[in-house]
Amino acid sequence: MTFELDIDAERWRRGLRAVVESTPGIVPVIKGNGYGLGRDLLASEAKDLGLDVVAVGTYAEVPGALAAFGGDVMVLTPWRPFFTDVLHDERIIHTVGRVEDIAALAAGPDPTARVLIEGETSMARHGLDRHELAAAVAALGDLRVEGFAIHLPMAGGNLREAENWAAALETSQVETTTFYASHLTAAELTILRERRPQLDIRPRIGTALWLGDLGALAVRATVLDTHLVARGERVGYRQRPMPRDGSLLVISGGTSNGIGLEAPKASAGVVQRGKSLAKGGLEAAGFSLSPFTIDGKQRWFAEPPHMQASMVFLPASAQAPQVGDRVDVAVRFTTATFDAINLA
Amino acid sequence: MTSAPRPGPLSVRPISTPEHLDFVRSRPSVSFLQTPAWAQVKNEWRGESIGWFDGGTLVGAALVLYRQLPKVKRYLAYLPEGPDIDWTDPDLGRWLTPLANHLKQQRAFGIRMGPPVVTRRWHAATIKQAIADPVLTTLSDVPADVRDDEALTVATRLTSLGWKEIPTENGFSAGQPKFNFQLPLADRSEDDVLAGMNQQWRRNIKKAAKAGVEVVRGDRADLAEFHTVYAETAERDHFTPRPLSYFERMWDAMTAEEADRLVLYLARHEGDLVAATTMVRVGEHAWYSYGASTTSKRDVRGSNAIQWQMMRDAMAAGATAYDMRGITETLDPDDSHVGLIQFKVGTGGEAVEYLGEWDLPLNRALHLGFTQYMKRR
Repeated sequence: MTFELDIDAERWRRGLRAVVESTPGIVPVIKGNGYGLGRDLLASEAKDLGLDVVAVGTYAEVPGALAAFGGDVMVLTPWRPFFTDVLHDERIIHTVGRVEDIAALAAGPDPTARVLIEGETSMARHGLDRHELAAAVAALGDLRVEGFAIHLPMAGGNLREAENWAAALETSQVETTTFYASHLTAAELTILRERRPQLDIRPRIGTALWLGDLGALAVRATVLDTHLVARGERVGYRQRPMPRDGSLLVISGGTSNGIGLEAPKASAGVVQRGKSLAKGGLEAAGFSLSPFTIDGKQRWFAEPPHMQASMVFLPASAQAPQVGDRVDVAVRFTTATFDAINLA
Repeated sequence: MTSAPRPGPLSVRPISTPEHLDFVRSRPSVSFLQTPAWAQVKNEWRGESIGWFDGGTLVGAALVLYRQLPKVKRYLAYLPEGPDIDWTDPDLGRWLTPLANHLKQQRAFGIRMGPPVVTRRWHAATIKQAIADPVLTTLSDVPADVRDDEALTVATRLTSLGWKEIPTENGFSAGQPKFNFQLPLADRSEDDVLAGMNQQWRRNIKKAAKAGVEVVRGDRADLAEFHTVYAETAERDHFTPRPLSYFERMWDAMTAEEADRLVLYLARHEGDLVAATTMVRVGEHAWYSYGASTTSKRDVRGSNAIQWQMMRDAMAAGATAYDMRGITETLDPDDSHVGLIQFKVGTGGEAVEYLGEWDLPLNRALHLGFTQYMKRR
């Protein structure tokens, strides 16, 4: 239990309140690993913030949200007839994104279920083409439409697309004035509200809420062992030679904690890759930069991370920590799993 | 889609004018551009009636217009708003391959056609709201009220058969418009249609009646009077008028085919002609084709009166659609074309999107040359 997240609770909650107060209609998104903080914690925070609805990613996440949060729970993944874990509850709001699914849901065991109709944006992930909206409305039967939803890309400059969808909603046969949107900036939301006063615009926000003040969050791993190593000495599972003299640190936190797990880079252009090659050094030698910061710098993995610990090389020139010392870790929160979360 | 047993291969061959006309009469409706008479109207093209045969049975027909390339004895084969075949057949190649083979023998370098297939419809209320919304600038931006998924698959089938859609600008191409405005008439009474119009239309119709505007049908001799007003309209609206002889030829060809294929309407106020129009009808489909109005006496609303008379006559003749023909796709209030849509939207009808016009090159080099030439024009 030595790969930990320390939360400065007061500061973190102050940040949450600031976001909620400056974002009317906010729907907090609580999905996946709960942005590293855990879904149960987030659900209970949402409850304390006095919000009326939360959004979860999948039906598997619904029972936990219903239990930990008193209000409505909307499911972001559109309903499909082959899902086996769908729950029916007055507090659940389903998302629908295909005409045939709407008909199937309306003919199912919960014909008066509450639904959000999702439009297919330039994300091209889920949702109905705008020209399918009339057919979608015709298929609704007794389903209750709670709103219209769009999921926008994160590339920025989404206002135009959002407004185009808002206009489409207003001219469509979909009878709702509630408009759920993801990935609009505060400024974009303000403009959209001014231009579309008839609509009740509700932003769905995850990262910017829960991880909005990274300064309130500190991830720390514990040094479990240190060994002096000489240049050329072979270490680890893979018996790789060390590049220089220095220390080998064994630090808590491995792949099971999300260390070394990487999503494909969002912006690894040719230039970026060229730069790392030009810098030479350990990366060119096949070493990877670890997320552990020791003596003020991010250090290189001595070999790929293990399941629950990592081996990190520290050159002799750096100040080596002691066994039991804690070091800072930069994690990708959406893939991180902590041994402990300390709210203090 | 029919689930009838798959019929055998189809063949295409020329048919006589009476055969073609009989087939047209057997159908609920085909475009008037696909009637044998239209070949006589378009006398700068060579016309040919062709039929699709399943064994000995005529199952489809088309009017092909051939236009010669300058200096070369090769032709563009044009089937405006046609052919009239079973577009719901999943195997369109069964129809289009023998068509291409026949046209190749006729020395065509390419085929152009406009499948009479409706893909989407927008109701008047939707369009009206969209025009008022500054963000929605084209019809495509506006959620359609009706969308025909089966019709949309026709585009995929055509593409896989090597056909290419001719790109349009604002829904306008060199050929027939992709977007049209139609007033549905099926199962509606005159009162229903009136009630569906906006207040301005109703008021104007009433105003014209009160002012004593009289709408009468004209005959061939009245075409000259129509043409005078039409030429005045052309000057006002900056388009090139067709000569009187064009309308006389149209009259002769079309009324010979059916007595009321083409009807001339004249709206008079205190003896003065204030508006004049023509209406074409094939089966259940009626088209407002040419319209003209004088600059003076606009306040007696001759245009509304004459439209209302055409609508009522179309209804009385059993038409299910009154077609006001092309509109541009634009909904931008700053675009000068939007006024035309607004006028048509006031009838309470709907905008209709067709599949557009499609090309099949038969001789790549000649076709490319022709396409370039059309672009430069």
